[in-house]
Amino acid sequence: MTGVNAVPAAVRPSGRVGAPPFADVVAEHLDAVYRYLVYLTGDRAAAEDLAAETFERAFRSWRRFDPRRGAPRTWLCRIARSAAVDWFRAEARRHRREETYTRDEALLEESVFAEGLSPELESALRRLTPAEREVVALRVLLELDGPSAARVLGISGTACSTRLSRALKRLEEEMTHVRD
Amino acid sequence: MSGTDWSELDGYEALVSELRTDPPVAPERLRQQILERAPGSRRRMSGRRRLGLVVVPVAVVLAVGAALVHGFVSSGSKRPEAFLNQKIVVRNTPTTAHELAPIPRSGTPDSLQAAGRSSPTTPNGGLAYHAVHVTAGVAIPRNRLVHADASLQVRVPNRSALSRATNKATQIVSSLGGYAQSVQYQSARQGSGDAFLALRVPVGRAETAIARLGSLGRLVSQQISTQDLQQQLTHQTNQIGSLRRAIAVYEQALQSGSLSATQRVEIQIKLANAQHSLKLVRRARSGTVASGATADISLTLTTNKNGIVGGGHHKSGRFDRLLGSAGSFLALEGIIVLYALIVVGPLLVLGGLAWWILRERRRREERLLASA
Repeated sequence: MTGVNAVPAAVRPSGRVGAPPFADVVAEHLDAVYRYLVYLTGDRAAAEDLAAETFERAFRSWRRFDPRRGAPRTWLCRIARSAAVDWFRAEARRHRREETYTRDEALLEESVFAEGLSPELESALRRLTPAEREVVALRVLLELDGPSAARVLGISGTACSTRLSRALKRLEEEMTHVRD
Repeated sequence: MSGTDWSELDGYEALVSELRTDPPVAPERLRQQILERAPGSRRRMSGRRRLGLVVVPVAVVLAVGAALVHGFVSSGSKRPEAFLNQKIVVRNTPTTAHELAPIPRSGTPDSLQAAGRSSPTTPNGGLAYHAVHVTAGVAIPRNRLVHADASLQVRVPNRSALSRATNKATQIVSSLGGYAQSVQYQSARQGSGDAFLALRVPVGRAETAIARLGSLGRLVSQQISTQDLQQQLTHQTNQIGSLRRAIAVYEQALQSGSLSATQRVEIQIKLANAQHSLKLVRRARSGTVASGATADISLTLTTNKNGIVGGGHHKSGRFDRLLGSAGSFLALEGIIVLYALIVVGPLLVLGGLAWWILRERRRREERLLASA
């Protein structure tokens, strides 16, 4: 569990010296970043685009990445979040332009978050806000520790714990509500 | 993960387990797409880095190189090493500026005067510019009224030589019909000293005086300027003639008895004005003639090497000039850059402000997203 949060041994001693090839970083963390973006956006297509954009940005600044300051997954999630914020902003503009925007209906048509999820959980996840889904993704799916998740979200560790607790509680409530 | 972290998930084990059971996996085509894009991104990144890491140093190197080239050219052949620091200014004269010729390093004053007409080479065959004087190439016009000013700096070896040279200078100007307006002599115990002499000699003998004064020691600096007064003298002479003619006319008119009282008064006033003007112009003409009759020579005798301007016959003279010129050029470049910054500064401030506003806006949206 600590592996995703720890600094890789190969890159720990002197920063860039011994840093893993970017292809290895892609292979190791693409799924995690993709999951995070799926949960954050609630849109698999958008998550794919944003994942591609995230790794493109990451590759551009790969030389500046300092492994001593954080794990690659945390760094990638921060980039992904930045890209997602841009996406949300564009979506909001598009939403204002298009009156026929029916994102929620589209989400209902297919399974977004995982193929094997129960319908109740899938539905409950849809009802969460992006911020709630985001913290669930970071802490539960990506298994980031509290400080790393808080760093990605740009909030304090306490606020991150509170948000996670609230998100999980609401998730259960929504599941109960769907069952009923 | 720490115990604290796990405790946050306590009570939700089933939910967490289900969420982790079959998480979404990135499509293979996305993985391939990202890996294919990476090399292209590397090129873009390299281009941006090149802008900062190559263009800026190249610009700095070019600026310094340009300054060095400018310094090299400025300290080059037009002013050979240790060339005598001399300046000749000719004002208000139809004649052309005097050309200065290199003078052999060694020789007596007579031979040096002749050197201006002979090949400017040393006995070793090389050019030497440690001239004692350059009056051979400086001709003060004798057929016109001119005023000449000369400034000479002469270095002497020691204090006793300074004293001898000071006395000799006054003797020289006296023998040429001139005189010393002022003599200021100062010396220290260490053997160094300076003497400042303001001399005045007839302009016709100015060249001889300059040549002989320059031979009192090592002539290291010389400035000669001539101002043509002939045109001014001619104008004043014409004015005097006109005024004389006018005065004669007025006097004749006053002698005739056909004038009324009023006319007589008017002519008397005009006559008085003309006579006054004639007096002023005559005085001015006398001053012009006096100015053109003598030449002012400012002679500085010194034993101090450092006090001599342009006296460098040391080997690093050209290098010093190169550095100085390059430094001046760099300073000019700096001024230009500073000016550009001043002009562009407000735009940069506005750009920075816009960037800051956009960043704050983005942060606010992120906070809104987080609290949504």
